[in-house]
Amino acid sequence: MADVLLEGRDLTKHYPISHGLLQRTVGWVRAVDGVSFTIERGKTLSLVGESGAGKTTTAKAVLLLERLTSGSILFEGKDLQRFSKSQLKTEYRPRVQAVQQNPWSSMNPRMRVRDIIAEPLVVNTRQSKKEVRSRVLELLAQVGIGADCAGHYPHEFSGGQRQRIAVARALALNPSLVVLDEPVSALDVSIRAQIMNLLKDLQAQYNLSYLVIAHNLATVRYMSHSVAIMYMGQIVEYGDAEELFERPLHPYTRALMSASLLTLPGDEDQGIKQIILSGEMPSPLNPPTGCRFHTRCIEARDVCSKVEPELIVKGKQRVRCHHVVYRRP
Amino acid sequence: MSAVNVMSGKGIEGSLRRAKIFQQLTLYIPAAVLALLVLAAIFAPFLAPYSPTKTALGQRLIPPFFIEGGSTAHLLGTDTLGRDILSRVIFGARVSLSVSLLVILITSTIGTVLGIIAGYLGGRTGTVLMRVTDVSLAFPAILIAILLAVVLGPSFKTVVLAISILGWAPYARLIRGEALRLREADFVAQARIIGSSPLRIMVRHIFPNIINPLIVIATLSVGLVILTEAALSYLGAGIPPTTPSWGAMVYDGRSLIDTAWWISLFPGMAIGLVVLSGNFLGDWLRDKLDPRLRQL
Amino acid sequence: MSKIILQVEGLHTVFFTRQGVVKAVDGVSFYVREGETFGIVGESGCGKTVTGLSILRLLPEPAGRIVGGKIILDGKNLLELSKKEMREYRGSMISMILQDPMTSLNPVYTIGDQIAESVRLHQNLKDDAVEKEVISALRLLKIPAPEMRLHDYPFQMSGGMRQRVVGAIAMSCHPRLLIADEPTTALDATIQAQYIALFKDVQRQTNVAIVFITHDFGVVAQMCHRVGVMYAGKIVETATTRELFKAPRHPYTSALINSVPRLDRKDNRLYSIEGQPPSMTDLPRGCRFFPRCSVARDVCREQEPGEVDIGGEHSVSCWRVS
Repeated sequence: MADVLLEGRDLTKHYPISHGLLQRTVGWVRAVDGVSFTIERGKTLSLVGESGAGKTTTAKAVLLLERLTSGSILFEGKDLQRFSKSQLKTEYRPRVQAVQQNPWSSMNPRMRVRDIIAEPLVVNTRQSKKEVRSRVLELLAQVGIGADCAGHYPHEFSGGQRQRIAVARALALNPSLVVLDEPVSALDVSIRAQIMNLLKDLQAQYNLSYLVIAHNLATVRYMSHSVAIMYMGQIVEYGDAEELFERPLHPYTRALMSASLLTLPGDEDQGIKQIILSGEMPSPLNPPTGCRFHTRCIEARDVCSKVEPELIVKGKQRVRCHHVVYRRP
Repeated sequence: MSAVNVMSGKGIEGSLRRAKIFQQLTLYIPAAVLALLVLAAIFAPFLAPYSPTKTALGQRLIPPFFIEGGSTAHLLGTDTLGRDILSRVIFGARVSLSVSLLVILITSTIGTVLGIIAGYLGGRTGTVLMRVTDVSLAFPAILIAILLAVVLGPSFKTVVLAISILGWAPYARLIRGEALRLREADFVAQARIIGSSPLRIMVRHIFPNIINPLIVIATLSVGLVILTEAALSYLGAGIPPTTPSWGAMVYDGRSLIDTAWWISLFPGMAIGLVVLSGNFLGDWLRDKLDPRLRQL
Repeated sequence: MSKIILQVEGLHTVFFTRQGVVKAVDGVSFYVREGETFGIVGESGCGKTVTGLSILRLLPEPAGRIVGGKIILDGKNLLELSKKEMREYRGSMISMILQDPMTSLNPVYTIGDQIAESVRLHQNLKDDAVEKEVISALRLLKIPAPEMRLHDYPFQMSGGMRQRVVGAIAMSCHPRLLIADEPTTALDATIQAQYIALFKDVQRQTNVAIVFITHDFGVVAQMCHRVGVMYAGKIVETATTRELFKAPRHPYTSALINSVPRLDRKDNRLYSIEGQPPSMTDLPRGCRFFPRCSVARDVCREQEPGEVDIGGEHSVSCWRVS
């Protein structure tokens, strides 16, 4: 039995749409609609999808920044709903930290780096000033920032260095899970590899679990142990990263992979053809009947527009499609 | 001939140096002006050549010394009651500076606190606070002031209270907008993730980042406060008219502006100097408090 | 081979800042043929955007200035045109697409009005002729039901559709050269693939030359015929796209290509280039990549390498190659 750190069961988040003078609720946006996943200790789960897929809302729910409409989150087997407010504050929050996408906006521009990294300690522990200072220096060393930079302000650093500082802040409380929201997408290409390698090293060193939010599949393949592909609030394919990328079962996964593969001019002559989806993700106010992907699916049949497919188990993978076939992208 | 101009390196060095000198002048001159005015206010009894309230009907409406008919006995001339303008400007600094300083301190504090609470906490508290703010903005301030003067009697305290009682509302409106924007900032989300309390977030993360607009609106309101004080005096709801204040002096000279313009001009210039110096110093303070600009 | 439409020679652009003079573009040369896409790929601050703005002469003045070089578009040096002549060139001969479709459209005008404005500026047409041009521009970018969509406001459209409208504005006056600065960066993966396919099609129809500025190697591979890799104000390697990926000669290019994770294989550890790009106010004396280069020699520290043509439209600035 795998060592499960965090489990999401049937997570659902519906936003009301209000209209008119009286702000009557006229409908619901189903931003997250029955999403279940498990994150194992020391492993990485990636949520992948385009904007509007619901991956950020799911991550926010895990970080307690969003209240769920229904569903439950289990942390080390215990339901968060059973946690009292003070238990959440002392037993959950400090153990689930985050690194955000944009290192230019994730830090208070008026605070010094040492205060930014110290803040989690100041808020959550009663360590003395001296203890805090030595922990900050230790963290800085761990992410490869010189101790002489502790007194600087965020704007004095490059994007890559800032992201290292953000990682140091996330590690300050020795968390078990770190939510990484597009951790490298705002960085320069030559810096991305540095940060991804750093994150992998830290994972191995501290047995950290990561929940990665990403849209770049190549990044995801490098970082993850398991992957969930999301489309319009639902998981359409979920499984072990290696198998999923070797044997993508859902047509949407194949299209996403095709869009992320490196195709060079001249490749087309060698029979490598990109799948280009037509149209765009439909409005979440008015999701399509049947399979939510059928409006863009190149393999859609009649049944797809009528019956909503369930997430079915296919080998070690789970997939939400009526006619699962294996085809290499 | 190429249409693209090439600027020589020397020209750049020079213009950078000039910019630096200009930058320093915009700090030192306003600072010196304000310091002089504050000193004048403190040491008014020693500096002023005459008593500011002493009337001399025989010496009415003497123009300033540089105009024909003026004399060095009254450098800036006299008013309709023969009072020395220079002495009144010096003494007037006391009322005008202290009223504006106090009022700005009170209003910006109340406005900032309410604005941050309304903006960050939002919800029902925020809505209620903002409705109160809207009502305060819509209410005729003069009416409240007169009412207060009637109830409490005209005095320095009444004036400060009367201007402050509604004066916080523009601050609250502006600061709420900023706080609303900052509530969605990534670093505020991060503060919540690490478990910071709402109070800590408002004090440590929201407040330091609204200082810029706060300074701008505070320095801009200096002139407004001085003139409101004058309006109150004029309506008899202010500080008793025997105590000189710049605003009241400007009002006094209003009807004689085409003949005895010096009655209004000199206190008006004093107000202008304070507002201008305040704005320059505000800009400097804003840059000084912003770590992103400090190194430059 | 088709005719060269744009030739940039020894372009130098500097910025005057409080910290000193920044040589943002320091001797950049390249050319683009009709119907060809030339990619400029590089990291933030390498000068790729400034290169694009220099060609359009849209630098933020007076801080930014072109201090040397030639930009020859269809036989005319753009740097010798007067401001007024340049304004006429912009839009009609050259146009530009910017990164963010949210901010490059004005929210208070319909998209039809915004395209029409650009058409009217450069062509003296009657109203119904203008409308025809607007609709044909929308059709060129494959915007469905153009007769209806032209009454839409930007907020009524998705990000992908808005970026198509931006493209329609840029193409509305039939420019010979299009400068596209990260036009797909703000788009989702599947929409990005759509947009690139669409633009290849637009290029086939109009034979427009495109200078495509991006940081994304994947996009370069899909979109460009030839690529210039820029580092710290200089183009360090130029080659046809296939050659650049299959046989890169500059250590920076190969390091960048190696450091990008691949979807088609499992990497256990990514190759990473240590350090940061140099500060543009304090460039190294010799080769600009020298401090981060794993194969540097003594000469790299002392002298800047010149550009060497190694044949087959491939040129490199590196001491190892010369």
